Amino acid sequence: MSPELEVELKRSAPAPGAMAIPSLSRRGWNAALEIALYCFITMLVAIVEFYAGGFPGPSNWLIGLVIYALWSLNAFRRSTTPSAAFVQLAVVDESNVAASFGRMVLRTVARGTVLYALPILVFANNQIVWIAMFAAAAASVAFMERGRAPWDLIAGTTMVESYGSEATESTGPLRLSDLRVDGLRQRQNQRAARMLQFAGWGAIIVSLLIVWVVASEAFTFITDDDFSWSLLNVEGDRRGWFPRRNFYDIPTLLVGTLWVTGIAMVIAGPVGLGAAIYLSEYAKPKVRRIVKPVIETLASVPSVVIGMFAIFFISPSVLTLFFDDIGSFSVLAAGIGVGILTIPLVASISEDALRAVPMELRQAAYGLGSRKITVALRVVFPAALSGISAAFIVGISRAIGETMVVAIAAGGSGGTLFELNPTEDGQTITAAMASLGAGTDQVAGSGIAFQSLYFLGAMLFLITLILNVFSDAIVRRFREAY
Amino acid sequence: MVAITTELRDQLRLRRSADTSGQIFRGLLMLALLVAFASLLAMILTALTRSWPILSDRPLDFLFSNTSQNPDEAGVFQGIKGSVMLAAISSLVAFPVGIGGAIYLEEYAGDSRFSRLVQVLVRNLAGVPSIVYGLLGLAIFVQNLGGITGGRSVISGGLTLACLVLPVVIITTQEAIRAVPSELRQAGYGIGATQWEVIRSVVLPSAAPGILTGTVLSVARAVGEAAPILVVGAVSGFFQTGTLSFLEQTQSFFTALPMQIFAFTKQPAQTWGAHAAGASVAILLVVVALNSVAIWMRARLDQKLRK
Repeated sequence: MSPELEVELKRSAPAPGAMAIPSLSRRGWNAALEIALYCFITMLVAIVEFYAGGFPGPSNWLIGLVIYALWSLNAFRRSTTPSAAFVQLAVVDESNVAASFGRMVLRTVARGTVLYALPILVFANNQIVWIAMFAAAAASVAFMERGRAPWDLIAGTTMVESYGSEATESTGPLRLSDLRVDGLRQRQNQRAARMLQFAGWGAIIVSLLIVWVVASEAFTFITDDDFSWSLLNVEGDRRGWFPRRNFYDIPTLLVGTLWVTGIAMVIAGPVGLGAAIYLSEYAKPKVRRIVKPVIETLASVPSVVIGMFAIFFISPSVLTLFFDDIGSFSVLAAGIGVGILTIPLVASISEDALRAVPMELRQAAYGLGSRKITVALRVVFPAALSGISAAFIVGISRAIGETMVVAIAAGGSGGTLFELNPTEDGQTITAAMASLGAGTDQVAGSGIAFQSLYFLGAMLFLITLILNVFSDAIVRRFREAY
Repeated sequence: MVAITTELRDQLRLRRSADTSGQIFRGLLMLALLVAFASLLAMILTALTRSWPILSDRPLDFLFSNTSQNPDEAGVFQGIKGSVMLAAISSLVAFPVGIGGAIYLEEYAGDSRFSRLVQVLVRNLAGVPSIVYGLLGLAIFVQNLGGITGGRSVISGGLTLACLVLPVVIITTQEAIRAVPSELRQAGYGIGATQWEVIRSVVLPSAAPGILTGTVLSVARAVGEAAPILVVGAVSGFFQTGTLSFLEQTQSFFTALPMQIFAFTKQPAQTWGAHAAGASVAILLVVVALNSVAIWMRARLDQKLRK
């Protein structure tokens, strides 16, 4: 060991009872976290105050002070040594020299103001006062603590925690008491488990609410006096979906949904599967690294944008080449749009399935002298078939549930006649729901039209649920295969 | 043993080029990829060319003007504001609940009946069409809790979107946590850490890039969704917020970028088509930017794991 290093080690070794000082980046992180948490709490108070119509008695300002006091108190409580409790006030620089009493008070006040003024800036009515206080406090803190890292200036109570880990000397044999977890850490551990379980309940609550809401309102629709089952299957020339005139012809919507889903899968199936096979079997890693993000970008395109694309490009520029009398809105255009939307989904799930096929199978086939196409089509494809069919089912489920593309591109808002021709206007279950939902204000009073929204929702929910459970079962079986 | 001579190599190459069906198949696969690429490209080009009258004339004015009945003055500022608030509210609710729930499922629950139930529910929730979440929002947040949320407000919309992205956040977080090697956890326990300490200082830091990727993607999803907030009651016409304060605005009318695109496409295309395309360009920029961040983070994660 070089003499310089020895001296350095001696100097940096903590004296008994001294506190370990965390690194600069650690302190910066603490400061950011503290400010974020503080802003969050103050914002919550302001929001509660707003929605409760103002608290009686104390003003916003007093509440902020109370929060700051509680916050500091908590920090004191959590610090492991009594001296650490005052570090927030006392530690001045890296050499652990205590500050004078006046400086401690000043720093506490200034930090409190900075921390409190930041969030209140957004919410208080007299913003100018707060901006002035903020500026003054920031300036005083900056002046007092020249030469320190900038984030140390606004870091407050969290630093107690990080400074508070007292440097203990670990000499002698390990004793049982060294291994015992102290009460504070144990309490923390239990509290964390409770809170996390509470979060786990979130998913359960959302699921139950969906089922309950959709089922109960659909039940209201069916049991209403104005309702009869014949409304759901109107025979005759005026067959169609016109909720405002009490025509709820479900086959009209089913035909639209089937067309859109069918057209979408005719496009998304081959294209998605082809892209998946290319990516997993043919593409070199370099090509993959470029192609994959592009496909993922296509996946993230919002469906309204695809709807816009359908009426501005697919309809006028593509479909008019093949159909002379096609309007700017048609089920066909919507189906193609939904198909483009479903391509990345089918591609990514199929690709996962193809890549899950063990390399040994491919190598065995190559060893027998197979061509690449034989390996891809006769070895890898059959092995991944269950995963690929799951991808198709998920794609179908997504295409059935897709709303905005159809609402924009298929026309037929308000209502639509029974129509088997996909080059005409039409509606799907989802688009009918969207147009009912968009006009809920007008619909709410008129008979059972509003509840028909939930009836459609229940139908849609059941269809997609069955498809999802089905694909899930397939995927699980195929996972067990390898 | 046959030595691989240049002659043999040439022969093999010849055979490969004579494999017509293989070449055709490869060509078809490329074609599939090309279709996907071409549709993305055509979409971007359509959005750009259709919105050119606005992009060339008043790009900033379009971004920072409120809704209006006059096509020359109408802009998407209220939509941008609404989308930002929706994304913020849904993130504030869905991230803590989703990430917390995922940690619970992966680290605490084990293989209990409770955890299996939640797993099944989450997977099915992820497949529920987004418009059904709109029904949930309409019934619960707008009608039952209308006193707190203000009815058809940005709060109701944000909470609805939070329910929508919750399963996505849970699933991606679970995957990220599952990818943390169990040796790391055992090392943590080995030096005497409690379970919570292991989670906080071992599991979460190593899973952070994966979790972040998932959350960024779910924000992108929330920004792009229109169907649920359409049902919850985003305004598709013109409205003014006047002099309402920030918090009062959270309880009043709102709209969002995708909602405005939908509204523009319902107007005559001659006058309002450029607006729809212009708003599409704006939302594409946001979503593609978020997506690139997620892809970049995942690439970094891959690199780190390889080391």
